[in-house]
Amino acid sequence: MMASVLISAGTIASVSMPLEAVRQSTPISSAILDLPVLLAVTWVTPVAGAVLGASILAPLVALWFLKLRRRRRIVSSTLLWTRSLADLRANTPFQRIRFSWLLVLQILAVIAIALALAQPEAEGFGSSGGRHVILVDRSASMNTVESTSDSGEELSEPTTRLALAKLAAKERVSELLGGGWFSARASEVMVVAFGSRAEIRAPFTDSVSALEAAIDSINPTDESTQLAEAMQLSRAFTSELNRNDARGEIADIPAERPPTIELYSDGRIADLASLALREGEGVLYHRVGNAERNLAVVAVSAERPPDSADRVQVFAAVLNPRSEPAKVTLQLAINGTVRSVTPEPIAIPAASNIDGQFVPGRAQVVFRPIEQPTDAAIEVAIVEDDALRDDDSALIIVPPAKRLSLLHVGSDGFLVRTLLEGLPVERFVSMSLAEFDALAAAGGTAGYDVVVLDGVAPKVLPSGCYLALGAAPPVEGLTVFGGHEGVYPRVARDEHPLFRSASIDELFVSKLVAIQPDKRFEILAESAEGPMIVALDRSDLHLVYVAFDPLDSNWPFQRSFVNFIANAIDHLGRAGDSVIGRSLVPGEAIAFRLPAGSRDGEIELPDGSKTACAIDADGNLTWGPVQLAGLHRIGFTPPGGGARESRLVGVNIGDADEARIDPLESLDIGTTQVQGISVAESRRGALWPWVLFAGLLLVLIEWWSYQRQIRV
Amino acid sequence: MTQVKPLRKLDDLLDSRLMSKLDAIDVMSRKIFSGKLQGERRSRRRGQSVEFADFRPYVHGDDLRFVDWNIFGRLDKLFLKMFLEEEDLSLVIAVDTSASMRVGNPDAFDYARRVAMALGYVGLVNQHRVSLVGFSQGRVERASNLRGRRKAADIAQWLLTLEPEGASGFEEAMRLVGTSRSGRGVMIVLSDFLFPEGFEKGLSMVAGRGFDLFALQVLAPQVVDPTREGGVTGDLLLVDSETGVETEITVTPELLRLYRDRLDRLCGALRGYCTRRDIVHMVVESSTPVETLMLEYLRRRGLLR
Repeated sequence: MMASVLISAGTIASVSMPLEAVRQSTPISSAILDLPVLLAVTWVTPVAGAVLGASILAPLVALWFLKLRRRRRIVSSTLLWTRSLADLRANTPFQRIRFSWLLVLQILAVIAIALALAQPEAEGFGSSGGRHVILVDRSASMNTVESTSDSGEELSEPTTRLALAKLAAKERVSELLGGGWFSARASEVMVVAFGSRAEIRAPFTDSVSALEAAIDSINPTDESTQLAEAMQLSRAFTSELNRNDARGEIADIPAERPPTIELYSDGRIADLASLALREGEGVLYHRVGNAERNLAVVAVSAERPPDSADRVQVFAAVLNPRSEPAKVTLQLAINGTVRSVTPEPIAIPAASNIDGQFVPGRAQVVFRPIEQPTDAAIEVAIVEDDALRDDDSALIIVPPAKRLSLLHVGSDGFLVRTLLEGLPVERFVSMSLAEFDALAAAGGTAGYDVVVLDGVAPKVLPSGCYLALGAAPPVEGLTVFGGHEGVYPRVARDEHPLFRSASIDELFVSKLVAIQPDKRFEILAESAEGPMIVALDRSDLHLVYVAFDPLDSNWPFQRSFVNFIANAIDHLGRAGDSVIGRSLVPGEAIAFRLPAGSRDGEIELPDGSKTACAIDADGNLTWGPVQLAGLHRIGFTPPGGGARESRLVGVNIGDADEARIDPLESLDIGTTQVQGISVAESRRGALWPWVLFAGLLLVLIEWWSYQRQIRV
Repeated sequence: MTQVKPLRKLDDLLDSRLMSKLDAIDVMSRKIFSGKLQGERRSRRRGQSVEFADFRPYVHGDDLRFVDWNIFGRLDKLFLKMFLEEEDLSLVIAVDTSASMRVGNPDAFDYARRVAMALGYVGLVNQHRVSLVGFSQGRVERASNLRGRRKAADIAQWLLTLEPEGASGFEEAMRLVGTSRSGRGVMIVLSDFLFPEGFEKGLSMVAGRGFDLFALQVLAPQVVDPTREGGVTGDLLLVDSETGVETEITVTPELLRLYRDRLDRLCGALRGYCTRRDIVHMVVESSTPVETLMLEYLRRRGLLR
């Protein structure tokens, strides 16, 4: 037993906590921490061990003082006995030690009990004293189904990583707070679940049942893995505000003894590089899972060909994070019905490492156009099974084939007008500002899907969708206060549909309208001087405002200008449709506008569950963050009653990091490398009970041997 | 455990059946000693027995009754006829009355008294001068110069009054016996010879002083084998019966083996010492029947015939 302890400890090779953290959390062991072999051995409850040791040693020493109650026996002479005893006992300090199995057993028993008192734990288990924060990763990759345990044993039934992590976390809680002699130094434990966002499931408590219930309540999500927020939350609970700072600032200072952070994850954490541990902060990384085989559909898009609006063409990207090439069969389903399957398996190259950067293998798939004049939920899915099913499909919601009715306002804007005339629209009308004001006053603008204000500002802006160029439209919350000259864009929301194939990196604007939008506006692009492109999505008004005249920039000479205008028309033209063309990713919120007066909102989640969601008086619906990938169906009662209507929202994982499911052996947090402990190893846990059992067994054998020897 | 009947009267010491058997035997000495009284044993002295020994010239003062007148008639010289003197034999029986003799079942002290009674009786029957010595630390009791069958009751009475106590005082007792003897003869020491101070000095006090010495080492069965009925087992506090010294032991096979080795070594040392000093040594367990001892063992060893 002893030998195995040392061997296993020696093979761990590194500590799971920063050395300083171990020193601080385990003062008794700190004296010998410099020995590499013992680095892996953690003394779980040093004080409890010392108390127990003292409580054993005290009676043990007392026994040496106590005299055995012996029977008196009168003998003729003790002469022979005394001399015999003298032969038996050592009567000189240095004599040849006589071999005795009893002696060997006693030595072994003492060693075993001494080791048990030191409470060695396998694979670098951390201290159970003090406070612990259990962080449970519930990101998409934790939904990977494991068929074997970390130690390679077949599981009775396939289990997700999250379930394994929860099980291990609960066992850890029992271990820390389970009571008994060796948990006498009660810890406080906090439970935090995290994906792209972190959530405290149980604040610091020593209630095992509360903690176990909190762990049980952690549900799987398809979010990405962001650890920073979870770390901040745990620090917030363990830091104290220093209100007496010399500079008069309020700053949080770490508590005297930082908690031990116990992370249950597969280690695929997107923001790991931006994290750093505080001084004395310790992390135990409980590595979960061992499955590796996974392929993912990371992107899907669809468009209706300009020449055939009733058809839909679907594009998909498939990712292979493994080091071997793979082949995959994809199927295309529309509204749940399979419409197409790739005729041959698609080859995906293996992942590679380029300049130290991991580059997964990718393959692009283009499906043949499919007849689909109505709106549809299109799903591209991998046919073959793999360990993580959640990322094997991706959804996109395609709006119905619809041709827009477009109104151009501005007599001098030949450039924009010419461009708009080239768009495939149902109806295109161009008029002057005066005509538009008259039309607006008569309420005639409702017949147009999108109105383009080409360098003009109407008196009023009726409900509708507007693309305004140059002159600031009269919208509440948008303040104009002069202008700037010679500006370049600094930040742009590249992921916004308006910037699809429309990069503005090379844009230069000679005259920019200086605006100050309020918080209802979304800034899509801004320069050092101020916003350049903003958007407003109100229940009655959808507006994209470009705060400069394109003719005052070099934009017309760039291809991105055409794409931007087309994207803006398309985006504004689809606003309020029954489907949302853009897919969300888990962690984002569903937010869109329903007809004002809509009510009784309800969201049906991909897992079939339903939940109510509020709709305000203007018809704005906000719900989230979404946690599961898949089709979200929002049902509502339209204004004035009538049959319930619904909107569809597609949510896709689309995260290459989550597609990498092979667990990380160690985490590099700042300058600290945290070695992972597999959950199976964690579950094997403390070795001291076995060592203690061995010690007691040795004592029993020693007693038995002694009894056998004295039996005459 | 078999309880031995306490000794209270002569019959307890020597029953009549054994007594009748002992009538036929006598104490044998390997040496010829001078006695004090005319007895039934051949003496070194020339005396008045019927057995002719030698002639010698008459000198003035000789008893004219022993002049051989036939020789005077033939040679005309006076010669004196010399006959072998028949004298009594001094038989000294020393009994160890130290406390250590009382331990065991049957204890060595009672056994020693019964053997002493039997030997004394043999001596009395054969008209020997029997002396008994009981010795322990600072105490030497004697019953001297007993002769004739009628004195058997006196011996018994004397033996019955003995009570074991204290240490042995062997050396001192032997010194007294050796220096104040009233006649050379056979001396039988009945003891366990478990003397902390050793037996050598004590024996040397009597071994070179004209005694035909017999060392009868009487040991209780529990001394010979501590594991016997009533013996030692487990964790014990052993109390020395003589000195009161306490010794804590835990009985183990190893300890028992060492004890037996020690006992063998002690007996061997005594035997060796006795052999070198022409002393007959004999170990007898107190469980051995006295009859067997008297009629078999001691006859075989030449003490009795």
